[in-house]
Amino acid sequence: MSQDFVTLVSKDDKEYEISRSAAMISPTLKAMIEGPFRERKGRIELKQFDSHILEKAVEYLNYNLKYSGVSEDDDEIPEFEIPTEMSLELLLAADYLSI
Amino acid sequence: MYRSRNRPKRGGENEVKGPNSALTQFLREEGISAENIKQKWYQRQSKKQEDATDEKKGKAEDDSFTAEISRVVEDEEIDEIGTGSGTETERAQVSYDARMKLVPADSDEEEYETSHISDTPVSLSSANDRESLTKKRQNTAKIIQNRRRKRKRAADLLDRRVNKVSSLQSLCITKISENISKWQKEADESSKLVFNKLRDVLGGVSTANLNNLAKALSKNRALNDHTLQLFLKTDLKRLTFSDCSKISFDGYKTLAIFSPHLTELSLQMCGQLNHESLLYIAEKLPNLKSLNLDGPFLINEDTWEKFFVIMKGRLEEFHISNTHRFTDKSLSNLLINCGSTLVSLGLSRLDSISNYALLPQYLVNDEFHSLCIEYPFNEEDVNDEIIINLLGQIGRTLRKLVLNGCIDLTDSMIINGLTAFIPEKCPLEVLSLEESDQITTDSLSYFFSKVELNNLIECSFRRCLQLGDMAIIELLLNGARDSLRSLNLNSLKELTKEAFVALACPNLTYLDLGFVRCVDDSVIQMLGEQNPNLTVIDVFGDNLVTEKATMRPGLTLIGRQSDSI
Repeated sequence: MSQDFVTLVSKDDKEYEISRSAAMISPTLKAMIEGPFRERKGRIELKQFDSHILEKAVEYLNYNLKYSGVSEDDDEIPEFEIPTEMSLELLLAADYLSI
Repeated sequence: MYRSRNRPKRGGENEVKGPNSALTQFLREEGISAENIKQKWYQRQSKKQEDATDEKKGKAEDDSFTAEISRVVEDEEIDEIGTGSGTETERAQVSYDARMKLVPADSDEEEYETSHISDTPVSLSSANDRESLTKKRQNTAKIIQNRRRKRKRAADLLDRRVNKVSSLQSLCITKISENISKWQKEADESSKLVFNKLRDVLGGVSTANLNNLAKALSKNRALNDHTLQLFLKTDLKRLTFSDCSKISFDGYKTLAIFSPHLTELSLQMCGQLNHESLLYIAEKLPNLKSLNLDGPFLINEDTWEKFFVIMKGRLEEFHISNTHRFTDKSLSNLLINCGSTLVSLGLSRLDSISNYALLPQYLVNDEFHSLCIEYPFNEEDVNDEIIINLLGQIGRTLRKLVLNGCIDLTDSMIINGLTAFIPEKCPLEVLSLEESDQITTDSLSYFFSKVELNNLIECSFRRCLQLGDMAIIELLLNGARDSLRSLNLNSLKELTKEAFVALACPNLTYLDLGFVRCVDDSVIQMLGEQNPNLTVIDVFGDNLVTEKATMRPGLTLIGRQSDSI
């Protein structure tokens, strides 16, 4: 596994690869990666989340990485779309990941 | 018309008797009087009129006399100023007129007109000018945009939105709240069924996760009557709302009606909870046995009495804090009705309670396990005698003892109460004696040497200012060393480095060493090595802890001076 990428594993064993810098946005993932755990190898199992929730969380991390560094002068940031039906579960996931 | 009969007729200059003001004297000497001024004005007017008739002979006469005059004045002004002719007095006159005329010229309208006039030729003159104009327009557009952005940023700052990209949590909560309010509007008639549909629409959350959801909502201060609906119609048995400040009394009522299985309910900051909703909670939740309320200040003595009568025989745990309407009478009502069933009682910051002496008489349950008496209004109200009596009654089974801010307690309570009545193999899990500044090292050392605290998980001696090394060393020589998870030694200024040599607890995760001045880099390093599970140390006010402190990975120092400056 490349050092620049981190793999997140969902409940149904689907794998999502995100850049290390995107994963670092979440304090939870950051602690896992930097801590003395086996997660530092770049594979993080998040078995409590379904794949579609994790997918959305990954999407948000990338979204955050892309737009949080944007300077003030640039135009409006596009809105992050959340499907209504997953908002509750996504909230729990977001709470866990502190994002 | 008013005129004094005694007033002398006008004539001589010095006929007025009595004192004169300096101004009157001056005007009189200079020969200036109202009559003079009037005459001068008439002369000026007639002169102008003559001039006007001369100049504008060929032109049609104006209808109104005044209008004519004004125009004349204008012409005259321009002429005279332009040529610079005329005598000194004339010029003065003109400038006076000009001044009079300039007054309306100050208005915005005038300004606008002049600017408009000066603008038009520019646009017509040449392509070059046109270019500069478009440039100008672009600039103004930019300025406006900048202003708008600035205003938005200021508004965001006021809303504490520092990050431009809002967090996923807040996005989710906005989405949830949006949908709930939308659904409510749509389903006004069948409003009773809204929450059923709600969970279908938003996607289900398991009952186990509902408390997590409540936590997340509270943390974001988003728990209100709308989001409350997520918790209705469930099989939920325990529910904790950490911030109810936005839930109205109606919200509590619906909660009571639609969550009938609740046995434990904790409502923090429930300022809007009123008589009606409290009685609803008591009546509609037949299984309720544990209630924790913070800030129910709308509820008065009468309602408390009714509530305890309803809850008689089934209230097992009752914690209340931050209300001045819970009085001695309410306390005795609680104890008379529910005293025999209570196994956990918490009274914190209740300013109207002074009769704590009632407690030992009524708390007689054999399984009583938690007692929290915090911050009484008068320190003398909670004294050694009361606590000793209480411990004599319930000390045997006590698992949690919190006596924060009871600053009247002394060594006598430790020796004659704790040591005497708590069994040698003690079940105590939480011990908190914060701010008891009369308790000394000797009594606590004695207590720790006599009683085995094998189950102690959480221990706080914050601001027990007289405690020295021996008390802490005795605590750690005790069985508590293996079970302790959280230890608070904040402000124990007598401690020296000696105390920390013994601080080696396998399960300790949190340690507060704020304002323990002897703590330095070497102590931090030693603690990190000795306590494998320690994750957080608070070091506020410890100026000897520097950025050079070596820490085991996974250990965080909070409040270090070098981190903030």
